[in-house]
Amino acid sequence: MSRQKIKKWLENVYNCPYLIMVVVSSVIAMLCFDEIGIRFFDNNISTERTVSVVGDIVRAEENQALGDPPATLEETPDSGETNTEIQNVISETMGGESENAGERKKEEAVLEDNNELNIESQDAQTQEIQEDTEKGVTKFLPYTPLEIESRYYSDAGKIALTTEYPYTIANDSYFNDAAFLGDSRTLGIYDYVGLEGADFFCDNGMTIFKLLKDDGVTEQGTGHKVDLKQVLQERHYGKIYIMLGMNELGYGNTTMYMQEYLSVVHQIRAWQPDAIIFIMANLHVSREKNNMETEFNNININDKNVACARLANGVDIFYLDSNPMFTDAEGFLQSEMTFDGVHLYAKHYDKWRQFLTEHGVEKATPNEDTE
Amino acid sequence: MVFSSVGFLFRFLPIFMILYLIMPAKYRNMILLAGSLVFYGVGEPYFVLLLVLSVLVNFALSRYMFWEPKSPQNNRKKKAARRRKRALILALLFDFGALFVFKYWDFVVENVNGLAGNQILPYLALALPLGISFYTFQMVSYQLDCYWEKVPEKAGLLEFATYICMFPQLIAGPIVRYGEIAERMKERRIRIRDLENGLKLFAVGLGLKVLLANQIGTLWNTIMTAGPGNLHVMVAWLGALAYSFQIYFDFWGYSVMAMGLGKMLGFRIPRNFDNPYASRSIAEFWRRWHITLGSWFREYVYIPLGGNRKGSARTVFNLFVVWALTGFWHGADWNFLLWGIGFFLVISLEKKTYGKWMERSLVLGHLYTLLLIPITWVIFAITDIRQLGAYLANMVGIHTGGVLVGTGQFARYLKEYGFLLIACVFFVTVFPKKWYHKWKDRWFMVVFLLLIFWWSVYEIVVGSNNPFLYFRF
Repeated sequence: MSRQKIKKWLENVYNCPYLIMVVVSSVIAMLCFDEIGIRFFDNNISTERTVSVVGDIVRAEENQALGDPPATLEETPDSGETNTEIQNVISETMGGESENAGERKKEEAVLEDNNELNIESQDAQTQEIQEDTEKGVTKFLPYTPLEIESRYYSDAGKIALTTEYPYTIANDSYFNDAAFLGDSRTLGIYDYVGLEGADFFCDNGMTIFKLLKDDGVTEQGTGHKVDLKQVLQERHYGKIYIMLGMNELGYGNTTMYMQEYLSVVHQIRAWQPDAIIFIMANLHVSREKNNMETEFNNININDKNVACARLANGVDIFYLDSNPMFTDAEGFLQSEMTFDGVHLYAKHYDKWRQFLTEHGVEKATPNEDTE
Repeated sequence: MVFSSVGFLFRFLPIFMILYLIMPAKYRNMILLAGSLVFYGVGEPYFVLLLVLSVLVNFALSRYMFWEPKSPQNNRKKKAARRRKRALILALLFDFGALFVFKYWDFVVENVNGLAGNQILPYLALALPLGISFYTFQMVSYQLDCYWEKVPEKAGLLEFATYICMFPQLIAGPIVRYGEIAERMKERRIRIRDLENGLKLFAVGLGLKVLLANQIGTLWNTIMTAGPGNLHVMVAWLGALAYSFQIYFDFWGYSVMAMGLGKMLGFRIPRNFDNPYASRSIAEFWRRWHITLGSWFREYVYIPLGGNRKGSARTVFNLFVVWALTGFWHGADWNFLLWGIGFFLVISLEKKTYGKWMERSLVLGHLYTLLLIPITWVIFAITDIRQLGAYLANMVGIHTGGVLVGTGQFARYLKEYGFLLIACVFFVTVFPKKWYHKWKDRWFMVVFLLLIFWWSVYEIVVGSNNPFLYFRF
């Protein structure tokens, strides 16, 4: 009896290869991969692991790219010490005047006295500051920061403003020797701003970490993937616009972002000694898209913006903040300008064109130190 | 919880299935009910109480409907009939009342306040309980079936609760009528073949959802991101096509997963889709699209209203009611009403004039359907009426602000999504289904399905660990 039964059962099992394969492969997969495995239950382990993995990847990539990393920094993006350290590193590496950095700090100190300042009162403050334009200074507006528990970012506690400078109005030929490097929003500029003469190197999902890697970037217009390292060594550009930071919101942390940005700018400077580098602010997201429970929010974006704005020296590196054109009083991207809360509708890129045109920098005496 | 998540695939389902299979058959309904409440409660820890309350109230009313006092009474029959009617009305009020409060209140308030010019009604701003549209319809179908004495045998509380809460169809259908599963609810055998075939169906559904719907959905998003109003005709149509694919594969995939899970549990869940895009008229499309919803409206609205037996004017009116309600069922906004009424117009027109002729034609009927369907989905997708107008205008080549998204972008989209679009077109035809049934037991199909399953899992894992994968900027 039992023999017959077993035979019958085995026959049934033999007729169910898919069931067996799914079950067996699932068991193996759950044992091998924490993403779906038993350890997934334990949230702490999984988070720790991911952090260290991301950290490793970023570090590995960094070492590979730089060969000689600019400085070993502790991974505590919110510690003031680290920031000062970076500041020093930046001013040294960039050849920017250290007085400038000092000046900036003085400025901050003055502004930080006024602790009640918050984002809403930004406009008034902006006007006040613009009355006495200091050439080449990138100012930071402080506000009371929030406590953020995230491994990706902290609240910078300040807003970076466009580098102060007597910008000129650019004519059409101004952009003929310009290159734009960026993500999908730069792709939007390519698509809808219509700067025919400029070169665009951008892809959806591009990050500062991937920009100069071997995988390459799509050159819009031709549609081919190119190795940006090669392109920047072969071609000559007068202006280079960089806008990256959105896809980095949930990757590594702000310090890593800043380090990588620094090394990218450094590299570009080495290949393009005459180019003016424009670091463009990452556009905020809309109120609907802003989510404090994820990394996807304006505080994180602002953290990234403040980080890259620190690289501006007001001589040949400028920080341009286009946010005021598109955001409401609380700093959210205006809902009626966007479908997904992140990208502008095609028709609103007009304003961006105007913004770029109004922020031309004429380099009267190239190659000359402004010491 | 959704089916296409690690939590469901590698936590809930294995644990649940093991318990379900090793426990004696008499406890199966209990385990299924408990599992379903966990399934629902993980995502909706508060609304699970609403679900339980609804089940209890509906069950009590369905019993009250046929309750008879023991003591002798005058007018026994008359009173019983009145009681039945009272119970039914109470049940309908409760079910539709809950649906109205959660789904439609704010919409009504917005329009009433807008008309009145001031705030005479307060907003509630309630979140929509997951699946409420589906389970409400299922409960109403049970009450009406009871009232009309169409239910073969009254369900016990456990059976009724299991029938409503059964996780394969709880949150997105198919809308199952009690009569369709009553027998299996009492007793069901689960053969190993059912597990095998159910799992296979599940993989098919998962693939449709994760590998087709999710991916093609990004094309529609990209085009909407550029903004309706400035789209080249070709881009506008490409977007409409992408959305048509997305909504079909999403919903079809979900229904197929539900069928597969149902099979694994020993049930037969009715199919919801039958190659709708291969229809030759819009009426036929709706006989093949979301079949269980269509038959719900036919059974419980159209026929009770008199169907087509009360003269042609009344038929048209009945159709109007059915389609307006179908529209509103999908969402509380004007565009959904517009969408429903659009179907009413086209289907009435078909009924009166060219419908039969279209369905007989070989090419023309298909062309006609394929041309209209994407337009209806655009109306469905865009809630903002101004944007909707702009998009529809773009589809016929009218631009108010000039073409900003032109042939250059069109070429790029094709390059990026060309392969996926071809795959989508293929899966819209009748062949995949045919081939699946023909070859589902052959080894290459088994391997293929296994690949589909793990590819989908890979996409889910990468997507959930990295929320930025599908939102690459």
